[in-house]
Amino acid sequence: MKTLSAVLGMTAVAAISLCSLPAGAQTYPERTITMVVPFSAGGPTDTVARLVAESMSKDLGQQIVVENVGGAGGTLGAGRVAQADPDGYTILLHHIGMATSATLYRKLAYDTLGAFEYVGLVTDVPMTIVARKDLEATDLKGLVEYVKANKDTVTVANAGIGAASHLCGMMFMSAIETPLTTVPYKGTGPAMTDLLGGQVDIMCDQTTNTTKQIQGGTIKAYAVTSPERLAVLPDVPTAVEGGLDGFQVGIWHGVYAPKGTPTEVTERLSKSLQAALQDQNVVARFAELGTVPSPADDATPAALKAKLEGEIARWKPVIEAAGQYAD
Amino acid sequence: MELFSNLALGFATAASPENLLFCLIGVLLGTLIGVLPGIGATATIAMLLPITFQLEPVSSLIMLAGIYYGAQYGGSTTAILINMPGESSSAVTAIDGYQMARKGRAGAALSIAALGSFFAGTVSTFLVALFAIPLTAIALKFGAAEYFSLMIVGLVSSVALAHGSVVKALAMVALGLLLGLVGTDIYTGTPRFTLGIREYADGLNFVAVAVGVFGIAEILRNLEGEKTRSVLVHKVSGLWPTREDFRRMAAPVLRGTAIGSALGILPGGGAILAAFASYTVEKRVSDKPEEFGHGAIAGVAGPESANNAGAQTSFIPLLTLGIPANPVMALMVGAMIIQGIVPGPNVASEQPALFWGIIASMWIGNLMLVVLNLPLIGLWVKLLTIPYYVLFPIIMAFCSIGVYSVNSNVYDLYAVAFFGFAGYLLVKLRCEPAPLLLGFVLGPLLEENLRRAMILSRGDPTTFITRPISATLLLIALAVLVVVFLPSVRAKREEVFQEED
Amino acid sequence: MKSLAFDSTNAICGAVFVILGGFFTYQSLTLDLGTALRMGPGYFPLLLALILVVLGLVVLVQSTRVAGEPLGPIALRGMAFILPAPVFFGLTVRGLGFVPALFFTALIAAFASSRMKPTMALMLAAAITLFSVVVFSYALGLPFQRFGPWVRF
Repeated sequence: MKTLSAVLGMTAVAAISLCSLPAGAQTYPERTITMVVPFSAGGPTDTVARLVAESMSKDLGQQIVVENVGGAGGTLGAGRVAQADPDGYTILLHHIGMATSATLYRKLAYDTLGAFEYVGLVTDVPMTIVARKDLEATDLKGLVEYVKANKDTVTVANAGIGAASHLCGMMFMSAIETPLTTVPYKGTGPAMTDLLGGQVDIMCDQTTNTTKQIQGGTIKAYAVTSPERLAVLPDVPTAVEGGLDGFQVGIWHGVYAPKGTPTEVTERLSKSLQAALQDQNVVARFAELGTVPSPADDATPAALKAKLEGEIARWKPVIEAAGQYAD
Repeated sequence: MELFSNLALGFATAASPENLLFCLIGVLLGTLIGVLPGIGATATIAMLLPITFQLEPVSSLIMLAGIYYGAQYGGSTTAILINMPGESSSAVTAIDGYQMARKGRAGAALSIAALGSFFAGTVSTFLVALFAIPLTAIALKFGAAEYFSLMIVGLVSSVALAHGSVVKALAMVALGLLLGLVGTDIYTGTPRFTLGIREYADGLNFVAVAVGVFGIAEILRNLEGEKTRSVLVHKVSGLWPTREDFRRMAAPVLRGTAIGSALGILPGGGAILAAFASYTVEKRVSDKPEEFGHGAIAGVAGPESANNAGAQTSFIPLLTLGIPANPVMALMVGAMIIQGIVPGPNVASEQPALFWGIIASMWIGNLMLVVLNLPLIGLWVKLLTIPYYVLFPIIMAFCSIGVYSVNSNVYDLYAVAFFGFAGYLLVKLRCEPAPLLLGFVLGPLLEENLRRAMILSRGDPTTFITRPISATLLLIALAVLVVVFLPSVRAKREEVFQEED
Repeated sequence: MKSLAFDSTNAICGAVFVILGGFFTYQSLTLDLGTALRMGPGYFPLLLALILVVLGLVVLVQSTRVAGEPLGPIALRGMAFILPAPVFFGLTVRGLGFVPALFFTALIAAFASSRMKPTMALMLAAAITLFSVVVFSYALGLPFQRFGPWVRF
């Protein structure tokens, strides 16, 4: 059964790439592909990867297995892929950390812009500005006023340097031009626990982690950082609506391949990614996490390249202003 | 009674033939993979996780919970048989369990562990069912100051883990705490003690350290006296515990269950302390504390029960808050999300069949575990009759796979070799590895919470005594100190008198 | 000559603690210490390292008071074969692939005991490899390459 689908998959690949191509690319993929996720199993990025990988496997006719190479803010896994054979059998799914680690780490084992080929964007997970449930402010304006009035006592939680919540927290403080006391945690779990328990005041984190808590009324949501309101949280205004001009942050995910991977292969992967992003199962699961798959024209090599370059430039000054590096 | 209708719903869900089957498969697979030396619960679950993705949500989670219990029990089995703990909790079981095994009482140790775990599992399952929600409220009262004070209690108690020199035990705790700090400082991002190796940025791998200082050190020790011994244990007497054993395990199991249930609820690593705390208590209340470290039954029964009770109640934060209490729970969250269930505070009301089904399956899983494992004990004990020179290559191969599979980090394998050497050195110097391991797991928690408490209190150190829970915990720590040192003074006097005889 | 009777094991042990404590002290001093109220990354480890040095000194001093047992035999052959086994696996698992790396790892470890015969070692390593490949690679589908780029043609 597996062989049959593999044969079918390969025929499909061959049919798509009709014209004369190098021999390797014509039959790609002919064996299992490893998708490296630079974070540990069970986390939000791992979940995104597994959902996408499963659907892409169907389209490619070959299994994509997820390998978790966690550590050092995702730079170990990215470094692994940078050094892998550029044959399309080792690919990387990484999030915004790909762009921020270029500044957060002053000595990286790879050149962020020079070591990879691009496959496409996967999704852009919005962030939410949330606070402990007994905080008195009722809307974002009120929150900003409250924070400014109590800037010596308000605490902002984050899940460690380089984490989504750390980035968004920095962005928030720079947007309201008020430096606050940050309280780092080891991962989102303990940070959220302390927010639920009212031990810390504010956090800005991915919808993946906050949606269910907001719906359950255990924390208060002030804004989402996406351009539009979210279907899962219709009552929460966007940050721009709430008065923070230009405050849009998203944890975007992209798929990369090592530098030198043939264009035919990255094109094939990109096509398969686009198909996966329209898979009903993927769409539904993403929706439960409070996010949507990237549109087809973003799931392309060119769009990912542009995004990465833009984001490196955008975060560099923010991180340098905060003056905290991860090495 | 709402509870009964809920439990009935849960059992109806969990006891459907196919869910029973998946629970059984989970328990079986978990036990079989977890029993491979050097492969602990985290590695087992990470390996088996993808299998569950194909199933229905409820079945998948029931199977995963089964894998969890199976892996934990499998891990204890290797801790007892070959001194290879795969998880911090079974490190404590290894202390006396392995000594029992060396005395030919492996069967008894394994049955005690199985029965103790089952009892603890039953009690704590009902605790979860009855009090999950109010207990969560208490757990949320624990802030950084409270955790710091709790860790102090754990640290003070660690002295009891030693059965030799107290000073050496304290030095081992200090060394363990330092090793626990290896990696990136979460407050500033500064790498500490990593020797410039980025692969250690997230700290040393627990399994690498545990396998090194316990397992490999033990292998090397066995290789010393090659000429004299050919199997680990010569004589295996009686597979089952005697009536006397049962009598002596009853109270430790009860106390272990209570300690484990209480500490397991705390999401910030309370469960880690459960087994250590139980060991301390047992050693203190025992009328024969000198037996500890040489195969005391209470030293197996108490910690194993505490460990299992803690494992059970650590589901509470996950089920009621959607927050994983440990890496294993984080894997469960990943599995739930892939199944389309995002865990959060509403799971109980939105998905009652799932919520109560999991709770019911906890008990069913524990029951299966005991039914499955009691007959297997004979088989496990037979493993001890394998000549050790055949066993060692097997152990080395599996522990290499187990350590590598978690994060595909080859530096973890180098750490295994390094800590194997270090562990052997320490054994030769008559230092015990258990306090080191306790320090290793507590190190990061202790520092993190200390610094966080200071940040949150804006640099006011009185926060530890003005917060009531924290103050109570510190008083307990003080009481433990007094209790620990008083009898040791008494014991010294007795020693003196004996010498004069 | 009673004053010369000292416990050599504990003396070494104390010295090891002092040296390790010294190492961590030195390393901690290169980090930012901060203050007690706003601790830097070096504060807590420095405290621990100093405690370790003090405890090591106590062990050292105590060792001069009592006679102790000698160190006993040292498993040199064991160390020479057991410790390199996981290192070899780490060095080769990506290059040679899972199957050859595991085979040689088991083989190396097998020679730790002087009782092991070469044929027996080969058979044992082959059996372990077969079992592991079936269980981990095929049944559980772990993402290991069975044969890596070094042995692929």
